[in-house]
Amino acid sequence: MSHACERGRALAETGINGEHVVAPATASDDVLRVEHVSKKFGPVTALRDINMHLRKGEVLGLLGDNGAGKSTLMKIICGFQRPDEGQMFLRGEPYEPHSVDQARKLGIDAVYQDLALIDELSVFHNMFLQREKLKGPTPFLANRVMRTEARAALDDIGVNVPRLNVPVARLSGGQRQAIAVARTVHSEADILLLDEPLAAMGAKEGALILDLIARLKEEGRVSMIMVLHNYVHVLTACDRVNLIQDGVISLDKPTSETSVEELTEIVVEEYRRARQAARAAGGS
Amino acid sequence: MAVETGSQPPPTETSDKGPATSRALASGAWTLLKRFLTLREGSVIVITLLTIIYFSITLDKFATSGNFKTLLPYFAPFAILAAGEVFLMINGEIDLSIGAVYLASPFIFYEFHNGGIPLIAALILALIACMVIGLINGLFTAVVGINSFITTLGMLFVIEGLTLIISHAQPVDTPGTNVAKLTTFASIFGGGTYSELIWALVIITILQIVLTLTRWGVYTVAVGGNRLGAAEAGIKVRLVIIRNFILCATLAGLVGVLEAVRTSSVQPDPSGANEVLFDAISAAVIGGTLLAGGSGTVVGALIGAIFLGVLRDGLIIKGVNADYLSFYLGLAIIIAMAANTYVARVRKGSGVG
Repeated sequence: MSHACERGRALAETGINGEHVVAPATASDDVLRVEHVSKKFGPVTALRDINMHLRKGEVLGLLGDNGAGKSTLMKIICGFQRPDEGQMFLRGEPYEPHSVDQARKLGIDAVYQDLALIDELSVFHNMFLQREKLKGPTPFLANRVMRTEARAALDDIGVNVPRLNVPVARLSGGQRQAIAVARTVHSEADILLLDEPLAAMGAKEGALILDLIARLKEEGRVSMIMVLHNYVHVLTACDRVNLIQDGVISLDKPTSETSVEELTEIVVEEYRRARQAARAAGGS
Repeated sequence: MAVETGSQPPPTETSDKGPATSRALASGAWTLLKRFLTLREGSVIVITLLTIIYFSITLDKFATSGNFKTLLPYFAPFAILAAGEVFLMINGEIDLSIGAVYLASPFIFYEFHNGGIPLIAALILALIACMVIGLINGLFTAVVGINSFITTLGMLFVIEGLTLIISHAQPVDTPGTNVAKLTTFASIFGGGTYSELIWALVIITILQIVLTLTRWGVYTVAVGGNRLGAAEAGIKVRLVIIRNFILCATLAGLVGVLEAVRTSSVQPDPSGANEVLFDAISAAVIGGTLLAGGSGTVVGALIGAIFLGVLRDGLIIKGVNADYLSFYLGLAIIIAMAANTYVARVRKGSGVG
């Protein structure tokens, strides 16, 4: 605990010099822009000054240490949390979502790191959670329609979930992840936020999701921001990579101009600085 | 090849003709039995049936139509109360104030009617007052963020106190009832022999449908199963919780009036009201609803209430000393729950949804 605090403070000191902070960048075909967004949770600063943009049809990879603020940023963009300061723009218009529902209506949907699945509900109820289909004007759920569509969506990805009536608690980590991804991909949204979509997956299932992302990219309809940990995945699946360090974007490069070595080097450097700072703080 | 990591579909059984048929039949029956036993309500149905059979064999007076009528008020009101409590318990909340609301609503009804408001209108106003109590419970729990156990414990005392203040601790005659003759109003709202049973069956049916076939039900399970996940999916968690508190309090108010009409008098008796609360929660829990949230059944609550009613009625007919009654009831609840838990474990293992 104290170690983490010291590291946090040490990083803040080195980061404030601003040598790594990227300036607000824009492009003419931006669908989403994030400008000077900050967020505090009590005494903890999660995001200091985030500037980010996402172009139409682009896949943006987001990297960063644990606790760097990746998930917080995703939750702000998808309307689950509100930023303390800063603005966002969606297709050129000011964008201030006050609920997940509103963001979804505007075309932004997210796969959360915790997946937001309800263990007790069936596979298809989870896939249609909060966008259930009803039988015409009645208040009754159109379970059969939802089951059929859920089956089609899962088949489309190629993940085998034998029975859609079972509670998702019975499924493997990979299947659960696939259901969460399928739920978002098959929504109407054209901006997808994927927070570690490959986290619980084995190689085979991960490959299915990467294929799906490549296919979506080819279709060009949706733009995506993906939080990833694996640099190889970033370089193969993404057009551009952003690195969050200590609540700011410290690197913004097309993946064609960077390499696993460069990304590794940056992170190793971050650890080295953190260790030095911790040692200095401990010695004083 | 598609990725195969989950549970396999059950192998299709093929039964060839001849001597193997009877064996296949037996195994089919066993599968059916297992399916039934592993239903959420299965074990409590079996326990209830066994209890009924036991009393029917050992007591001459048990399996009679007269006793059936005696039995009705032993479970119908509790089934309705438990149904509301089930919704809250699935939500991961609990309402301890239903006994107090049950106590207060007939007095509110009485006061409105005394003030010159017609019977039906006074009843509706009394139920609206109960809704407001539910709303306050919901707001303190979901918005202010006080644990519902504490919120509703406080509300229990507030409402009991108010009831005693309003009533001056004096019983009154229930409006619209007449000891000499059954009025139409009374026969509908609790006075008729089967009135409470019909109310209970209608309410249980509607609520079971709401629970399994509507958004309200799905969201109730979602909020109880994974509150953060439900919020992330965009479900208005607070609204779901508040709505269920209002449902629970309204049903408690309705049962309060039904019972007051049935007995023709309104008694300001807090200890009786709290016994009602415990019976309702017991019925819900015995019926297979988890206190932890995320899972439950309204039909189970009805069966749980029947079980408690049968047990109480049977023990009384048996002539069990009143002092032993609570003791046996308590034992029965614990044994029934142990059986439930065991079956739940079997269900998890068997993979039957």
